Amino acid sequence: MSASKAARVGEEIWKGRVDKVNAELVVLTYGTIVAQLCKDFDSDYVQVNKQLDKMGYNIGLRLIEDYLAKSNTMRRCSNFRETADMLAKVGFKIFLNITPTVTNWTSDNKQFSLVFEENPLADFVELPDDGRAQDELWYSNIFCGVLRGALEMVQMQVEAHFISDVLRGNDTTEMRVSLIRYIDDELPPEDD
Amino acid sequence: MSNLQAPRAGAKEPSGLRYPTNGKTIYHRPLNRAKAAELSGASFAYLFSEMVSYASKKIESIQDLEKRLNVQGHPIGLKLLDLLLYREPARSQTRPLNIITLLHFIKNNVWQHLFGQAADGLEKSSDPSKPDEYMIIDNEPLVNRYISVPRDMSQLNCAAYVAGIIEGVCDGSAFPARVTAHSVGKQEEGEMWPGRTVFLVKFAPEVMERENFLGKG
Amino acid sequence: MSYYFVIVGTEDNPLFEYEFGTSKAGGDGQARFPEQARHMNQFIVHSSLDIVEEVQWGTGQMYLKCVDRFYNNYVSCFLTGGNVKFMLLHQPPSSSVSSTSNPRSSTSTIATNPMSPQTEEAVRAFMLEIYESWVKTIMNPFYRVNMEVRSPIFRQRVAAAGRKYL
Repeated sequence: MSASKAARVGEEIWKGRVDKVNAELVVLTYGTIVAQLCKDFDSDYVQVNKQLDKMGYNIGLRLIEDYLAKSNTMRRCSNFRETADMLAKVGFKIFLNITPTVTNWTSDNKQFSLVFEENPLADFVELPDDGRAQDELWYSNIFCGVLRGALEMVQMQVEAHFISDVLRGNDTTEMRVSLIRYIDDELPPEDD
Repeated sequence: MSNLQAPRAGAKEPSGLRYPTNGKTIYHRPLNRAKAAELSGASFAYLFSEMVSYASKKIESIQDLEKRLNVQGHPIGLKLLDLLLYREPARSQTRPLNIITLLHFIKNNVWQHLFGQAADGLEKSSDPSKPDEYMIIDNEPLVNRYISVPRDMSQLNCAAYVAGIIEGVCDGSAFPARVTAHSVGKQEEGEMWPGRTVFLVKFAPEVMERENFLGKG
Repeated sequence: MSYYFVIVGTEDNPLFEYEFGTSKAGGDGQARFPEQARHMNQFIVHSSLDIVEEVQWGTGQMYLKCVDRFYNNYVSCFLTGGNVKFMLLHQPPSSSVSSTSNPRSSTSTIATNPMSPQTEEAVRAFMLEIYESWVKTIMNPFYRVNMEVRSPIFRQRVAAAGRKYL
């Protein structure tokens, strides 16, 4: 599927086939989760990032079915570039009504960036002014886990991490996604 | 207020936060949105179920878990109270002065905002020995729509999270209360609504005292 | 006119303080509290809090207008839904008060007359503008009740509202 077709598909699904709720319910819920984790982990932001990634991973494992059913794309993406477009233009669109930009590909087509011009999860957010949060906390780290979990379910092992965030004072919010390998079909992925 | 005079370390320290070069901060985003933004219900469901499963770790009892969900909802109530008041037109931008006004604000404004419709009912306890108890009724709480509670936790009502939000609104507006969520779908009147939930709001004694005093004045 | 603005939390703890002067009628925006009286500002506002707590149950309005007066000091209050108090102490320069025999007929009212209807409206507009920034502050998931506000942007917003209306 071409990038522009993917964008159209994403838009159509969002308009017609998605049960919607007030964005602020979601945003406030995510905010209270992150704030609670920071409290529980005593502002050990490295641990908070890990926990957010883990939560995202659990979500990704379950979300992929919903995604496949809604997008009607039972066919596997023909290459990682197509996967990236589908992720950005269909996946993010139908769950969060945003379409991050796919960019900064490496020449081997195994690594790209998602650049988020908008990020509903970060609405209203200013990181704690404790001299550490802006260097250590990745507020939206749950996204990384979601990608990892969801793609694992369609036989792709990826690694994802943020490299910049406007909440840290950077000019962009950018996530780096790398394909590690295609997982062989014979073994179902372990569910932990 | 004694600490108004106390020297406050750090009060004059400049903030150490960095901002993007475009200078955009939380203070630059408008609070009024022309049209309420929406996200998918699924994204809420996934987040909420992760919150519940995280909160389920190392708990001693269902009450324990419900308490944790309540605690997570509480700050949201405090925030919504002022966010929703801010968005009211000037003439109805008023603080609730009595229990009934407060509960109507919750039943209508808070519910409408969070769940797209007002709550289904608001009742005062019929037990004369409990004048401090009120009930907000939701036939099908949105937060429970996507959650399937494991059988060994059948007592659990995840709407405890919403109870926490209500409690936050009450506490914030100086009507301290304890709010708990109870499933009543299996009782007679709940047959049509198996997920019917009653939010029991029990106000603190000082609220009742003030209410009586203001009522007489 | 000199102003002392303080946001008071629900435990009567100060969350934010800012001193400024009028920008109306050629004012330079600098506070000119007599040095020996300056430390009194907090005491005066403190003693007004009790009055606010009486007035607040008689009206659902958030803007309570001028709630208290102590000699040449006037205290206005705006009460948020979450019971946080925005307190503004205004002190006209002592010379202008003595020359204003009838406070309601003074011309350069906002700059010198703390009790005129124009001042009352100007303070309302000032408070409402700060309320907007306040709601943005508390919406932050990391903001907990009664936390001090240290954001320089918030301070800039308060300063700008002061310049604009007062």
